Amino acid sequence: MMAFLKLLARNRLALAGLIVIGMVVVLALITPLLPLADPDVTDTPNRFKPPFSEGAILGTDHLGRDLLSRLMWGTRLSLAMGLAAAIIAATIGSAIGIIAGYYGGRTDNIIMRGVDMLMAFPYILLALAIVAALGPGLMNALIAVAAVNVPFFARNIRGITVGIAHKEFVDAARLAGMRDREIIVAEVLPNVLPVIVIAMSTTVGWMILETAGLSFLGLGSQPPQADLGSMLGEARSALITNPHTSIVPGAMILIIVMAINLLGDGVRDALDPRLKSGALSRPMPATTVDRQGAVPAAKTESLLDIAGLRTEFRVRDRLYKAVSGVDLHVEKGECLGIIGESGSGKSVTALSVMGLVASPPGVITGGAVHFDGKEIIGAPYEVLRSLRGRRVAYIFQDPLATLHPLYKVGDQLIEAIQSHDSVSSADARSRAIGLLKSVRIPNAESRIESYPYEMSGGMRQRVGIAMALANNPDVIIADEPTTALDVTVQAQILSVLSDLRRERGLAIIFITHDFGVVGQLCDRVAVMYAGQIVEEGPTAAVLRNPQHPYTSRLIDCVPTLGGGQRKLSAIPGLPPVVDNLPVGCAFAERCDKAHADCRAGPVELVKTEEARKTRCLFPEVVSERSA
Amino acid sequence: MTFLTLTRRAVLAATAATALALSAGGAMAQTPENVLIVGQIAEPQALDPAAVTAVNDFRILMNIYDGLVRYKDGTLEPEPALATDWTISEDGTVYTFTLREGVTFHDGSAFDAEAVKFNFDRMLDEAHPYHDTGPFPLAFFFSSVESVDVIDPQTVSFTLSGPYAPFLSNLAYPTGLIVSPAAVMEHGADFGRNPSGTGAFTFGEWRSNEAVVVQANPDYWDGAPELETVVFRPITDANTRTAEMLAGGIDLMVEVPPVALSEFQGDAYTVHEQAGPHVWFLILNAKEGPFADVRVRQAANYAINKEAIVNDVLEGTAEVAAGPTPPAFAWAYNPDLEPYPYDPDRARALLAEAGAEGAELTFYVTEGGSGMLDPVAMGTAIQADLEAVGLDVTIETYEWNTFLGNVNPGLEGKADMAEMAWMTNDPDTLPFLALRTEAWPDKGGFNSGYYSNPEVDALLDAARVETDQAERARLYKEMQVIVQQDAPWVFVANWKQNAVTSDRVGGFTLQPSFFLLLDDVTKN
Amino acid sequence: MTGYILKRLVSAIPVLLGISVIVFLIMAMIPGDPATAILGSYATPENVEKLNRDLGLDQGLVPRYFIWLGNMLQGDFGRSFALNRPVLDEVLDRFGATLILAGTSFVLCSVLGIAAGVISAARQYGFADKAITFVVLLGISIPSFFLGMMMILIFAVQLRWFPVSGMWPIYGDRNLWVLMDHLAMPAFALAVVATGVIARLARSAMLEVLRQDFIRTARAKGVHERRVIWRHALRAAMVSIIPILGIQAGFVLSGAVYIEMVFQWPGVGRMLVDAILKRDILLVQGGVVFIAACYVLFNIMVDVAQALLDPRIKT
Repeated sequence: MMAFLKLLARNRLALAGLIVIGMVVVLALITPLLPLADPDVTDTPNRFKPPFSEGAILGTDHLGRDLLSRLMWGTRLSLAMGLAAAIIAATIGSAIGIIAGYYGGRTDNIIMRGVDMLMAFPYILLALAIVAALGPGLMNALIAVAAVNVPFFARNIRGITVGIAHKEFVDAARLAGMRDREIIVAEVLPNVLPVIVIAMSTTVGWMILETAGLSFLGLGSQPPQADLGSMLGEARSALITNPHTSIVPGAMILIIVMAINLLGDGVRDALDPRLKSGALSRPMPATTVDRQGAVPAAKTESLLDIAGLRTEFRVRDRLYKAVSGVDLHVEKGECLGIIGESGSGKSVTALSVMGLVASPPGVITGGAVHFDGKEIIGAPYEVLRSLRGRRVAYIFQDPLATLHPLYKVGDQLIEAIQSHDSVSSADARSRAIGLLKSVRIPNAESRIESYPYEMSGGMRQRVGIAMALANNPDVIIADEPTTALDVTVQAQILSVLSDLRRERGLAIIFITHDFGVVGQLCDRVAVMYAGQIVEEGPTAAVLRNPQHPYTSRLIDCVPTLGGGQRKLSAIPGLPPVVDNLPVGCAFAERCDKAHADCRAGPVELVKTEEARKTRCLFPEVVSERSA
Repeated sequence: MTFLTLTRRAVLAATAATALALSAGGAMAQTPENVLIVGQIAEPQALDPAAVTAVNDFRILMNIYDGLVRYKDGTLEPEPALATDWTISEDGTVYTFTLREGVTFHDGSAFDAEAVKFNFDRMLDEAHPYHDTGPFPLAFFFSSVESVDVIDPQTVSFTLSGPYAPFLSNLAYPTGLIVSPAAVMEHGADFGRNPSGTGAFTFGEWRSNEAVVVQANPDYWDGAPELETVVFRPITDANTRTAEMLAGGIDLMVEVPPVALSEFQGDAYTVHEQAGPHVWFLILNAKEGPFADVRVRQAANYAINKEAIVNDVLEGTAEVAAGPTPPAFAWAYNPDLEPYPYDPDRARALLAEAGAEGAELTFYVTEGGSGMLDPVAMGTAIQADLEAVGLDVTIETYEWNTFLGNVNPGLEGKADMAEMAWMTNDPDTLPFLALRTEAWPDKGGFNSGYYSNPEVDALLDAARVETDQAERARLYKEMQVIVQQDAPWVFVANWKQNAVTSDRVGGFTLQPSFFLLLDDVTKN
Repeated sequence: MTGYILKRLVSAIPVLLGISVIVFLIMAMIPGDPATAILGSYATPENVEKLNRDLGLDQGLVPRYFIWLGNMLQGDFGRSFALNRPVLDEVLDRFGATLILAGTSFVLCSVLGIAAGVISAARQYGFADKAITFVVLLGISIPSFFLGMMMILIFAVQLRWFPVSGMWPIYGDRNLWVLMDHLAMPAFALAVVATGVIARLARSAMLEVLRQDFIRTARAKGVHERRVIWRHALRAAMVSIIPILGIQAGFVLSGAVYIEMVFQWPGVGRMLVDAILKRDILLVQGGVVFIAACYVLFNIMVDVAQALLDPRIKT
């Protein structure tokens, strides 16, 4: 609860809404205690006194009644009505929705048909007809407004209940012999309740508007009682001559409803779990760059050179150092593997190259990336865009999520081509077919018309590869392209990549957590742990003779021929959370060789052999390995 | 101005981004010369005089049709129209009319005795072949007519079941307007949308919910009108009507909301006022509850500040009513009658005497309705006045039709008081229908407060069959004194109908009948 | 697809029948009758009874319903008591006006709402986002009738930029320009609330979509950001925006009642309010069934659009 309030308080607009509505509610509550004029006493000779008149700060209405006093009493009534209508509508609507959603089948069908009917009925007319049938009066207007809103609640809550009714815990409760009513009350309701509360909080404002609308039509409170809508309705005939009588209640409605909406948005956001992690922000076109310190020079003459790269995630008041000073390079035609557990920073490193790290929350805070001799971190958007896909292409992990679900794969390929090359659609199309063929997709001519959801995982990933190849890039960065695929498909994909690399002289940065895959494809490998490279060297040498204990553990995870699953759980413990890295070696906690020295201070990445580096004070020796 | 035009274009362009090509712009058209645009309060129901009941519709009808007789300019007394002369039999049961010669309907057919007979038979005779073009809700105005007989093409006689003094006055009422039989035969039930009469204006077109357009009838027997065209625009919202008048969209506006009157001070507009046969009152339930005691009824009359209501709430668009008969019926009105003064102390004393202090009362208020003026504001003010003398009044508001549905069957068991207003064409109508013992709701009348005084009953019955106007007037004046004393109602206001014309309109006057006569109006 | 549309059309029939029963029962439940309404002050019980007989209202509920339904199926919606003309003529006359008003408003609120939502999402937390969020919030918090009244006061009476009311000038040519002149204020006033609702939903739908992996893919391909936002992201976001448009269409149609009253627009909403007050039973029944049918039809169109947009939906 406190956390919720804190979150709410952090949203300044919601806080403003809370303060305003709080003030209004407090004023409404203490209205009877305030030294106000009687709201119902008429004084016709003093009608339509303008605001700031003596004895009537907001002026008087068409019968000479004090507007301030009527405003306060009216606000009190309108708030109560809006709240009551929202509660009634929410209660009845949710009950209907839960029943329909929980029981499903015919019950659901009949109820939802009824709801459809009510929704097809223009709601103002329905309210009007209800009031006409019940007679005038505040209670009846309230019933009418609540009634016309029941279908909306019913429909929303039903949707959510359907989702919950098929969850395991409901099935479990059913198996345990609980009766439906008990399940609804004990299992379903608690899960739906937050949604109901959110829906209600956002509806209160709407209810006030609607009751005001009915009062405006003369169907609300009975004179002389004031509510905001009837004040507005009564003032309407004097709109032109004495606009203040309309503006006073109109402005109050505006203020209340706005404050409620702000607060409602805040409540919704605060209860939304995604927002807590800051995930509901949309990523910008390129990662934000906020470099501290000097821009390092390229360390090599390579095609792609990454020097001292630092990328962080800034979520609220926490700082996650995903990449802390990575140096890497890849030569033309070379295949570099980057390997590490989830969260080791390997993907972030790769995405940082073309500024594709989601930002917010990602920020590149240091280092440089030189491509073909030019520094591209913080380059203008148009420069980055022209490199993306044309010189440096990406292949991503889950092709179902990474291909646009609503466009045909052909159109997505054509778009990739036309983004950099102004060719006619027909040409682009034939090129797209050629690309599909080059990744060994059968029937490329017809497959081009398929949607991603119509393809198998392996086929989709081939499309992903074809798309990366569309503009004959120099470097392909493949971010775990085979992780989501089964073993045979994985082998096919790897062989496609391997062939393409040979044919086209592509440089590939291959990111994986699987040494087996690295062994098949890569010339060199860099091992990452907690945002740093802990070991780097030629694949064969590293495999044969890992120097960092972490590398050696990773290699141990690769099953021998015909072995079981590939799992990193073989390494005891978990990688450190990158918002709280230790001063010394990040792996020390999980390392059985750790000394006090390891934890004392930062460990440098040092050259151990020709083309090999290790970040360890006590590197493994060959003899241990061969044993 | 350039700036404004530019900005206006900008706003338009933004709004119109969704529309197709923008054609050449049109400036705000000023209404043309000799075309009068009238802001009406509602869409007419039909343009068949026999079928409609609303004053709003009468305003159009009176310009398309004529009756056998009409009200003399500025009065409520019948004078010749389509009939040039008439005689009444000694016993008051046979009226013989001589018809005007050479008059034709707008459709070219002739106006003659057969046409007159057709009109009344259509309304009254259920066997008439065109009776199904109804219903004719106000046919009972002529329920005393037994037969209509054609004497010769220019002479027609009405035989009544008994002497009935208001007969001529009823003939001058819109229900008595004469329609073209040929047009009724041609259009059947759709005659109401294809009207044809003998009036100063011929029907042009009716664009649903936009306008009824009528053109000058150059052959009008009473002289062709000055205007070429009159357009009646229905604008139901009083506020919008006022805005249209201010913006120059209409030339003539009827039923100006009292609060808006101040907008029309100045040379650009003329405000017209005319007291009419209207009375606004509160029905008091004399059968049960506190108002069964005449002292409490009188107390209510003393307690309510009628001056404040007419001068402040209604901005002087009404006068304080003294009794049941409005002063507009000059000959029948008793000028000696003084309204109940505003005297809360007297009211409190009477309440104390009757032991009715703190009585709880239910008060039916309507939201609007024909002749009801500003009923919610008035009801609220009345409620406040009655609270001030120690009566505990609860208002219940109803939309007009529900209100009538509740009030007309009688207040017994439901309410102690109810708002009501009547506009009539004869001093007989209202008291006869709403004050006699024989007019209690269960007997088919409108005496919803169950007032009963045999003396009043006798006076009203006598006046109805009395053909001598002076004697009739004496009877009515006597009745008014008794009724005021008995206080079955709280007499509140007599409405002065108002209208606003722009400075381009000339020759316009309002009639006490509340009709809108436009044949002498000019516009430049 | 044809089969799908047919199936949806058939499934709409029970909904429409249900609506006809509901509206019939409501009208039967409302106290007061058309005779009282027509007769006004002269509504004596005797006169009322006679008029009701003339109007055919003296029969029982069940036969009356089936006579009405039967006639309606043959295209005869009956005659309006108050207007003395065929219900269908009146409804069709009025419906054109409502369609122009609500249609324009709907296009306006869809285009403005989606554009505002997209820009807001693309510039999240930027100035444009904050400005749009504020304006949108203002829009959904103001009663439309109040806004309409204020617009008349400012733009028609004070500034005289626009005509006060009505759909056509009483005199002069009827062309698109003068229609737009009359349409501008009511269409805008009617669109404001729906624009706000759509903008808010479009914004969150866009934010949701922009976080998806396929957006990163598009960016990695080097697709220009404009195209990423307006094609890739919007297309995907439309899947959740379109159902909202369907619901908002209903709101716009309902909200037209107030706007038609304030601006004297000769539409079907105002007609129905008048008809309810006048107890013009057949006009209310016919009008409501007609509107409901349009609403149901529109929703079928929305579903079809949805199916066309999202190939994953099985039709």
